[in-house]
Amino acid sequence: MSPSWPGAPCLAMRSIVRAKYRSVLAALLGLLLIASTAQALPLFNRQTGQNCMACHAGGQFPELTPYGRLFKMTGYTLGARTAVPLSAMALVSDSSVANTGKSLSPASDFFKQNDVILATASVFAGGKITDNIGAFLQVTYDPYAVRNADGSYAGHTAADNMDLRWADRFVDAERDLVVGVSLNNNPSVSDPWNTAPAWMQYVPVPSPGSSQFIDGTSPYPGYSAGGNIAGLTTYAFLDRTWYGEVGLYGTARGPLSFMTEGNAPRTFLRGLNPYWRLAWNREWGPHSLMVGTGGMFARVYEDPNDPGTIDRYLDWSVDSQYQYLLDPHAVTFQFVYARNRHGYPNAQGGQPVAFVDAAGNPLAPTRYKTRSDLLRAKVSYVYQARYGGSLSAFGLHGTSNTANISSGYDPATLSITADPAAAAPSLPVNGNLTGSPGTRGWTVEAFWMPVQYVRIGAQYTAYSRYNGSATNYDGFGRNASDNNSLFVYMWMAY
Amino acid sequence: MRCTERLTALLAAAIAALGAGCANVERSRDVANAAVPGPVLARQVCSMCHGTAGSAVSPNFPNLAGQTAPYLSSQLRSFRARQRRDPAGYEYMWGLSRALTDDQIDALAAYFSAAALQPQPVEGRAEQIGAGARIFAAGVPARDVPACASCHGDKALGNAIFPRLAGQHMDYLIKQLEVFQRTDERSDPQTMPTGLLMKNVAHSLDAAQIVAVAAYVQSLR
Repeated sequence: MSPSWPGAPCLAMRSIVRAKYRSVLAALLGLLLIASTAQALPLFNRQTGQNCMACHAGGQFPELTPYGRLFKMTGYTLGARTAVPLSAMALVSDSSVANTGKSLSPASDFFKQNDVILATASVFAGGKITDNIGAFLQVTYDPYAVRNADGSYAGHTAADNMDLRWADRFVDAERDLVVGVSLNNNPSVSDPWNTAPAWMQYVPVPSPGSSQFIDGTSPYPGYSAGGNIAGLTTYAFLDRTWYGEVGLYGTARGPLSFMTEGNAPRTFLRGLNPYWRLAWNREWGPHSLMVGTGGMFARVYEDPNDPGTIDRYLDWSVDSQYQYLLDPHAVTFQFVYARNRHGYPNAQGGQPVAFVDAAGNPLAPTRYKTRSDLLRAKVSYVYQARYGGSLSAFGLHGTSNTANISSGYDPATLSITADPAAAAPSLPVNGNLTGSPGTRGWTVEAFWMPVQYVRIGAQYTAYSRYNGSATNYDGFGRNASDNNSLFVYMWMAY
Repeated sequence: MRCTERLTALLAAAIAALGAGCANVERSRDVANAAVPGPVLARQVCSMCHGTAGSAVSPNFPNLAGQTAPYLSSQLRSFRARQRRDPAGYEYMWGLSRALTDDQIDALAAYFSAAALQPQPVEGRAEQIGAGARIFAAGVPARDVPACASCHGDKALGNAIFPRLAGQHMDYLIKQLEVFQRTDERSDPQTMPTGLLMKNVAHSLDAAQIVAVAAYVQSLR
C-alpha cells in the first residue's frame, strides 16, 4: 500500500510518510479487506443488492448518479426491506498545517498535528420502511467534541443528518412525476444534487485544531441557519426535468427534538422559516446537467430568551452540476455562486469596538447589515470507480465589518497583544485584523478506493487570502499560506 | 401551538394519510414482493436506468424496448441465479433480480418486448457503419467469423433467444462483445452454454471490427 499524493509539498510529505502512519493504515486496511470479504455491506447496498457505483458517481459517495437521485427522491424505497437497517461509517485521518511556528501555543492551536486519529464515526439507520416511506438517519460520534479544562478531550454523540420521507411516483409512457415530503433537520439535506449546501462539502471535518484549515473548513455554500433544526419540505420532480421543493424550518423541539439531540448549542429559530429550491435537469447519452437555484430566509436567536437578539439571514445560490458517467469514467463539474445577507440584531449595529487603529483612533462602528459572495467550482474524475482526483477553487468576499475584528491595536498600549488582561486582547492564528471575511484558495485531491466501502484520500488546500488578507491576517504575522493544509484520510462505510 | 408542534402534527397527519396502507402494489418499488405486477416493476424500478418504456438514455444501460421476450427472460433468470457475471450484471442486476418470481420475470419480458424502441441517434461514424455492415452480413471468412445476420436476423431484430441488436447502444454492444471475447462471464459452459456461441464468434474479432459491427447494428432501426 503506497498511494501517492500529487500536489503535496515535499515538507508535508516527509512529515506524513512515517513508519507509524503507514503501519496504522496498513493494519486498518487489512481489517477492512477481511471485513469486505465477509460481505459486510452498507444499508442501501443491502437493500438494492447493487454496487455502490449504481447510485454514487464513480463510487465516490455521496455524489449521486441520475439513478441515485431517483432512489433518493423516491424516498429510499426501492429494493427490499432489510432485516437490520443499520450501517456504520468511520473516518481515520491525519492533518498537517504548513506553518505551526507562528502561534503562541502550537501544541493546542494545532492539536494532533501529524497524528493519525479516529476523527469521527457514524451510525446510519433507515432505508425502506414501507412502499412509500423511507429514512436516512445519521448519528455521529466525535471523539474530540469537548475540550476539558485540563486540555484533554472528551467524546460526544449527537444527531447528524436526518431525512425521513414519504414519496410516490406516478409514471407511464407520457408522464413521470415523483412527489414527496421530507422531514429533515438540515436545509437542502433532502436535495438530490451534490452542489446543494448540505452536500457539496462532505468529508467529515475532525475537531482538533490541526484540521482547522483543511478543505472542509474553507468557504463552502451553506445555510446560515445551520443543520441543527427541523423542517418539513415537499418536492416534485416532473419528467426528470423540473425539480421544485419548498419547505419551512423551525426549532427542533418537542417530539422533533431527537433531530438535534446531543447538539450544543442548539439552534433556536423564530417561527417558521422558508426554504426553496428550483432546478432544471437534463440527461442525454452519458451526460447529465442540472442548473438550479435555492435559498432560505432564517431568523436565528442568539439568545432564545431575548427576542431582541435575532439575526436575519437571506441565503440564496445558483448552482450547476454536470456529470459524464460511462464506465469506466466518471467526470463531474460543479459550480456554485452563493450570496449571503446578514442583518444583525438592532442593538449590535452602530456599536463601537474595543480595538483602535495604530494611531489610537477609534475604528468605524459595527454594521447593521453585511453581504458576502462565494464562488466555488470543482472538477473531479474517477477511473474504474477506483482511482480519482479533484481540483477545486474557492473565493469568498464580503463586507468588512469591525464586528468581525478579533485582532487589533489595544487602546491602552497601542500594540497588538494576546495578553488576556489587556483591554482588547487579540487572537493569534484565527484572528481577523481587517474585519473582512475574504478568503481565497484551491484544493487538489487524489483518492483511491481499494474496495467499494473504503476511500483513502489526500487533500491539499492552499490559501492565497485568509480573513481578508494575504499577509499578517491575524496581526501576529501569520500569512494566508501558513494555513495551507494537507489532510489524509481513510473513510470507511459499512 | 408552537410552530414545530404544528409541523409535527402536519407530518403525523401526512404520514397517517399517505402511509396508511403499507403496501402500495400499484406503485411499489419493492423487488421482493411477489404481489407487485411485472409492469409496475418495469415502470417504478427498471425505468430509472432503462427508461420509462425500455429506451435507455444512458449508454451504460441497454435499451430493452423491442427486445425478444425469450432473451429478456433468460437474462433475468441468469442474473437472478448469479450466472451472468459481467460487471454490468453483478453491479446493477444481481441485487434487483434476486427475489423476482418466474411470473414477474416473464411479465417484465413481455412488457419490454412489446414496447417500441424510441428513435435513437446514430452513435457510430459512417466508415465504421459501412465496415460493420459487411461483417454483419457476411462475417469475416478469413477469421472464421460467421455472419451475425445468420442468428440475429437480417435487420438485427433478434430471434427468440438470439437478442435484438438493432438500435442498441454502441458502448454497451462493444463492452458485451469484449466480455464474450475475453471472459467466461456470459459463457460459462456449465451455466450459460448458449453464451459459448457468442464467445466463439467474438473470439476472432479485432478491436476495430468490434467497434464497426457495434456501430452498424446501433444504426439499424
